[in-house]
Amino acid sequence: MGPAGMAAFVAFVVGVTTILSLLLGDNPALFGAGPGSDELARRLALPGDVLLRLVAIVIAVSIVIGIANLLFVHVGRLARGKIYSAVMLASFAFTMYWSITNKGDASLLEAVQVPIESALAALLFVSLALGGSRVMQKRADIWGLLFVALVLIVLLGSLPLAELAPVKAWSDWLMAIPVSAGARAILLGIALGSVVAGVRALLGQDRAYRG
Amino acid sequence: MDETTVQVYSVLFVAITVVLVYTARFFGRRRARRRMQRQLAGMDQIPQWITQGIESNLPLHLSFGAAGVGGDHTPAALAGAEFFHHVIARANASDMSPTVTMSAPATVPLGHDVLRRAWRPGNTLSSVQWYPPDLAYAGAVAASAAVEEPAAHILAGRFGAELALMLDSADQRGQPSLAVSERLDGQAVAFAMADHVLIGEELFAAPSAVSEDEGGRADAAILDVWRGLIILGATVLLMLEFSKQLPLLSWPLVAVIAAVLIVLGAITYRRR
Repeated sequence: MGPAGMAAFVAFVVGVTTILSLLLGDNPALFGAGPGSDELARRLALPGDVLLRLVAIVIAVSIVIGIANLLFVHVGRLARGKIYSAVMLASFAFTMYWSITNKGDASLLEAVQVPIESALAALLFVSLALGGSRVMQKRADIWGLLFVALVLIVLLGSLPLAELAPVKAWSDWLMAIPVSAGARAILLGIALGSVVAGVRALLGQDRAYRG
Repeated sequence: MDETTVQVYSVLFVAITVVLVYTARFFGRRRARRRMQRQLAGMDQIPQWITQGIESNLPLHLSFGAAGVGGDHTPAALAGAEFFHHVIARANASDMSPTVTMSAPATVPLGHDVLRRAWRPGNTLSSVQWYPPDLAYAGAVAASAAVEEPAAHILAGRFGAELALMLDSADQRGQPSLAVSERLDGQAVAFAMADHVLIGEELFAAPSAVSEDEGGRADAAILDVWRGLIILGATVLLMLEFSKQLPLLSWPLVAVIAAVLIVLGAITYRRR
């Protein structure tokens, strides 16, 4: 068995163990009213719990990979003469120094990071407004028109004006019925796709395990 | 519905999906001719973007967004990886490695793996870029796109409203984009601002639309089968509910209306 075959085998064993543990564990009613059903359900739930805790630990550690990647990319860019990367690396070094010498003081974060994120959020509003105005350029069809009309109705309906009460009623109906139905349809499609992708990974058919 | 019933239905659903995946892949491999497949928006543009990138020596930008391995969004990350694998494999002739970005650190190894398999062995470490999530990610990607000037942006994963910053930046620089998000707010932004948009489960069907892989097409077919069954079931339940509320509706009339709806749905599906 080669490395790819071994990876697929491990994925299959871990995947099947976890899914069976999650589906069958912690519910004694599945195994009848016998005296051993509680113990059986508890034992079946144990492998899933252990594996999920391992995943949580690995995800927590992966932030180190992300930071290492960020530093590596910007050192490479600095070597190619990109001066903004020097700013990023200097900021990183200074923040680390500040955090260590001031025992986790978050004032630097609040003084720099929060205003910058607020500025980006304000920019996001402008980008969204611009994007909305360009919908009819990109999608000059019935769906683009419908999209713009719905956005306008919902925006007008959210205004606190008594004159716009009929529009608010329309807006509420739109949000409660068609928008809710559309959102559920999209989420249902994503859920189906997730199940098929999950089963493919479970069976070792995913490319990451096939080599 | 009590917990036991939900668990039994879940086991049945997963078991049926496993059987369907195996069956569809078996028949998919046996069938030599290309299965008639749904057309997905923007898929015919991807080869053009790749060609433009090769000719002008510009990279493609591929983004997972916040789709991370290990959490609830693992399937989206795996589907994105499969999609990107086929896109990168087509861009193999380029001297410029595609840029893969993400905001979930656990996806960094997946991004490296995709590049290593689909592009070519070599130094691709700086082509996989992680940035902190949400607005910081969007700002960093927009700034990075200004420096690297990618030939096109393919954003397939998990994005929120911050997607607007990336798409606006791309639009201002004349860089084409294709976007799909498993989050609803990101999906709405993608519809409004991307040049081409995939919706919902099309994220999971996209790999089969850019490859000759019969297994991928079989998976896309299973998605369609499940979706069709759910639409059929919902239609039947709806008609049954109508027949209770409206005494004038007779059973034959309900059956005729249901049949007409199903035929119309089938015709619309075939025309797509």
